Amino acid sequence: MMRELILNTQLSQRFNRETLARTVGACIMPLIILGLSVVFGVLEPRFFTGQNLGNILVQSSFLIVLAVGQMFSLIVRGFDLSVGQLISMVSVASALVMAHLASTMPEAPFLAVAVGLGAGLAIGVAAGLINGLNIAVLEVHPFVATLGMLGICQGIASTISGGFPVFDVPDVLARAFLHNRIFGIPLPVATAILVCVVAAFVLNRTVFGRMLYLVGSNPRASVTAGIPAKRVLVGAFVTCSLITAIAALMLTARTGSGEPLMGGGLMLQSIAAAVIGGVSLRGGEGRVLHCVIGGIFITMLSNGMNMVRVEGYFQMIVLGVVVITGVFLDRLRKR
Amino acid sequence: MTDQKSPLIELRAVTKKFPGVIALKDIDFDLKKGETHVLLGENGAGKSTLINILAGSFPPNAGSYLINGVAAKGLTPHKARLSGISPVFQEFSLAPELTVMQNMFLGREIRRLGVLDNAAMKVRAEEVLSELGFEINTEIKVGELSRARQQMVEIAKALLQDVQVLILDEPTASLTDSEAEKLFELVERLKTDGCGIIYVSHRMAEIRKIGDRVTVLRDGRKIGTVTCADTSDADMIEMMTGRKVDTLFPKVVQKPGKEAMRVEKLTSSCGGVKNVSLTMRHGEIVGIAGLVGSGKSEIARLIFGLESIATGAIFLAAKTEIRNPSPRKMLRNGICYLPSDRVGEGLAMDRPIRENATIAALDTEKFNLRGLMRRKNERDAANKVADRFSLRPLDIERRVEALSGGNRQKVMLARGILRDVEVFLFDEPTVGVDVGAKAQIYHIINELVENGAAVLLISSELPEITNLCNRTYVMRLGEIVGELLGDEVTENNVLNAIFDDHTRMKPDAQVPA
Amino acid sequence: MTSNGIWHKALNALGRVGLLPLLVLFALILLSLVEPRFLRQANLINVLRGTGFLVLIACGQMLVLIVGGFDLSVGAVVALSSVVSALTMAGLGADGAMSVWTIIAFGFAAGIGAGLVVGLLNGLCVTYLKVSPFMVTLGTMSIAAGVALYISAGAPVYGLPEEFTRIFGRYRFADLPIIVYTAAAAAAVLWLMMNKTVFGLYVYAIGGDPAAARNSGVSASAVLISCYAICGMLAGLTGLLLTARIGSGEATLGSTLMLESIAASVIGGVSLRGGVGRVENVVLGALILVLVTNAMNLMRVDSKIQTIVIGIVLILAVAVDAWRQRIRGRRAA
Repeated sequence: MMRELILNTQLSQRFNRETLARTVGACIMPLIILGLSVVFGVLEPRFFTGQNLGNILVQSSFLIVLAVGQMFSLIVRGFDLSVGQLISMVSVASALVMAHLASTMPEAPFLAVAVGLGAGLAIGVAAGLINGLNIAVLEVHPFVATLGMLGICQGIASTISGGFPVFDVPDVLARAFLHNRIFGIPLPVATAILVCVVAAFVLNRTVFGRMLYLVGSNPRASVTAGIPAKRVLVGAFVTCSLITAIAALMLTARTGSGEPLMGGGLMLQSIAAAVIGGVSLRGGEGRVLHCVIGGIFITMLSNGMNMVRVEGYFQMIVLGVVVITGVFLDRLRKR
Repeated sequence: MTDQKSPLIELRAVTKKFPGVIALKDIDFDLKKGETHVLLGENGAGKSTLINILAGSFPPNAGSYLINGVAAKGLTPHKARLSGISPVFQEFSLAPELTVMQNMFLGREIRRLGVLDNAAMKVRAEEVLSELGFEINTEIKVGELSRARQQMVEIAKALLQDVQVLILDEPTASLTDSEAEKLFELVERLKTDGCGIIYVSHRMAEIRKIGDRVTVLRDGRKIGTVTCADTSDADMIEMMTGRKVDTLFPKVVQKPGKEAMRVEKLTSSCGGVKNVSLTMRHGEIVGIAGLVGSGKSEIARLIFGLESIATGAIFLAAKTEIRNPSPRKMLRNGICYLPSDRVGEGLAMDRPIRENATIAALDTEKFNLRGLMRRKNERDAANKVADRFSLRPLDIERRVEALSGGNRQKVMLARGILRDVEVFLFDEPTVGVDVGAKAQIYHIINELVENGAAVLLISSELPEITNLCNRTYVMRLGEIVGELLGDEVTENNVLNAIFDDHTRMKPDAQVPA
Repeated sequence: MTSNGIWHKALNALGRVGLLPLLVLFALILLSLVEPRFLRQANLINVLRGTGFLVLIACGQMLVLIVGGFDLSVGAVVALSSVVSALTMAGLGADGAMSVWTIIAFGFAAGIGAGLVVGLLNGLCVTYLKVSPFMVTLGTMSIAAGVALYISAGAPVYGLPEEFTRIFGRYRFADLPIIVYTAAAAAAVLWLMMNKTVFGLYVYAIGGDPAAARNSGVSASAVLISCYAICGMLAGLTGLLLTARIGSGEATLGSTLMLESIAASVIGGVSLRGGVGRVENVVLGALILVLVTNAMNLMRVDSKIQTIVIGIVLILAVAVDAWRQRIRGRRAA
């Protein structure tokens, strides 16, 4: 009550402060990215070559897509621990489908690739559906539900691949993906842009997107307002897994093989990128732009450290410190 | 008057500032031995700040605080407790996962050789509870108790030590009638023992019952201290609200028309509502009065499908029966429920006003074009509603979090305007709402009824019931015990119905709420 | 009506005892009937050893979960402790000037100390920076793993005192390895702490409702930090004993333990929302997890499929628990 009084009489001041905080908040990560690139540029002039900046862009496109997927589960107050192993499973499964079709009908490699991609996406949707139903209907905590899914995906990935990479993927896949450009934009970047645009459209322009934010912000209130919260929850996790599957297919296309160990550290990176970029762990908040910023930041950090020859193990330490400080700064800005 | 000794506690010219606001200004206050001193004020008047200063939660910016005539410097909640000042706040200090006994001793456990002495604590806890006449098992986890029982534990916790000053912050807000009665007995007993009691409330009936002196606060200032016996209700309300009672409420013209909804023999699965039948008509405000825990809030929740129904039926417009109600189904049938807990289940606090205004209408064609948001329609509609309700600030992109209680309630009301709603179920629509906004909300409700809506007004505030309702059901212990019509809806009649035969109630006949 | 009554009674009884003990009993009986090799001494010792490691680390995890947190860094702490203690012991033992027991003592101090440092870091960041435990421990996980790899250059660290591996890795007292006693002692101490001391009471209070605990004058910061510190130290101890078992310091040790420790706690009924959890049930949870793995090993189930089964078991266990809670909630209301 007292708070309300304070707010009441303080509204005009707060308004200014809020807009100020928002402006500063929106600028802080781009500024850090800018500062960081200056530091790397000074330490290693090759950092600023067009080729390296292009590299960063291509590399970050994978992480950005992953972070966008993860964001869908974060918005509804969940998180998805299974994304890493889902990537492995989708990679291996789609590669196996492609390899099998390519060997039975070698004359149609494109068809084989297309069916393989379709299978990968279908697997993503299925995994997301199971996650979502477990969480929404059986009311299993997202941590446990997706942890279980992590084990399941890992097991399936290593079982169907026998633990080895799947190599017999038609090479049109890797060639097409890595060497083609659309309007001069490399295909991985173009894919990431497409995913981002569609995701932003879903979040901002569709009723489903609106419901995602409302359910994440206050699940009980959304039920009272007649929003089908359970269905929205399932939809969020399905979308998350679907986008993750897209990332998995991008990664498979890049390596040109199905890798059972591909997903390893990607789950943590996807969460880190989203949260550092500004997606809230408490739900109800998150924009595609956050994921783009977070993804570019983490990719640039590791690229820069590679350029100035920071040892790989030491990079992990830096990443850890960065994650904690990044989230801390984010909290400060929201206060 | 009988003793001229120095008061137990005394505030002199106390001022408390928070960043950007003066919560209390130049407050003088004192409490004598053996008296009940009521703090009366609207929400936001500064009552909470005042008792927080008394309890040592934070220091005043100016002025002095004397305990037994000695200036209290560097007071902390812990030190205040040691001086015999025991607060019972509205936000409970109970840990849901601990037992009653563990909670009572939380922060001051009895230890023997470093190990908890559960036996000793249990004995003492049961002693205090039985002294109070509360029948509560000390081994039960607090999270499993009803809110009323939690309130009792909270009070018992405060009385575990030697108490000189007991601070009760709206303690009956969640008690049933017989429990409230026990509390009043306890207060009397403590008074005769020489305790001083500070009692925060804005319920006239209660204040009449136990108050000796009343200090009225408004907007952080002290309006005056009066003796209960010499002051009329109307005067006190006028002191509290700053305006005559009759300007607060609009003149509602009730034109009861066709039946809008009928509920027959509704009983809830958990037993909080038994055999309730009621009817609502277009163009009429129907009230449900009763104490908290009487089941009046549950009725709306049952109708709206938020709690499960054991038996009974709900009929719309005199014929169509609605089976298995759910919020979605009810909204589509033109029924809207506005919960009392706005933060918990009413609003998405960190989303903008615009999104909260349309939250319940996302499936209507007006805002939904085959799955796409009609953003212009939404903006226009939200702006129009904000204008109509004179929302402050008028910026529909502001987060609801930043609004005052009254404006939050208006945002929630918007959902009933933005889709075809004919039946409104209000649950305590003015909880946490300041006077000005209260009048506006009453005005809006009046408008709804004039336009032919049917309104169910569930309220613990008797003036709301008596001034707005054409008909009123009175609930006690989960059942409807009376229906008052037109001129019969007076404060006295309602109170009589609520308290009618409470003396015959046995404690074990209580409803688990 | 009568069958309904019996059903309700059964449900109530189930609600009080919980599924766990029944499940363990059922698993034990089933295993001994179906698979005679299960009852062989060597296998039983195997089961107990595996359970011991898991219990030790799950106890710490449980503490942090009850107080309303999360510790993702425990696995990395195991690796860090392993490398740090191995380097310490190998370094001190190189010139042969120090007595073996002094070296081992330093080794223990280094390993547990490393755990303590990470735990304190976790606790301080969660308490004072108010960063979500998930992100803090995600960060320290990366840091701890990075340090372990960095100082060991990613290679196993050899040169441990022979006594260290012999006694703490292989020695058996009354047929049981040291880890079993250590885990039993840790669980017993933790049980006493949680049930008989003020500390345990405060842990439950803070995990259940931090604001209420603070209103009652409980110093939440100290308790929170202690929980993370204890969790870190237990992970450090686990790392030490695993190192003794393996015979070298490994920066890859314990990679699965983070998830397993959380799984054991959750199967043991610890709430991820804080405030709820009992030591004895976590021990049972760990036992179930190890039993399921052991049974699959005995039946020669491919280890790759085992992860699938574990995943399903985890989800099922929690789903059943959630269902049970709902039923109880409905009946209590």
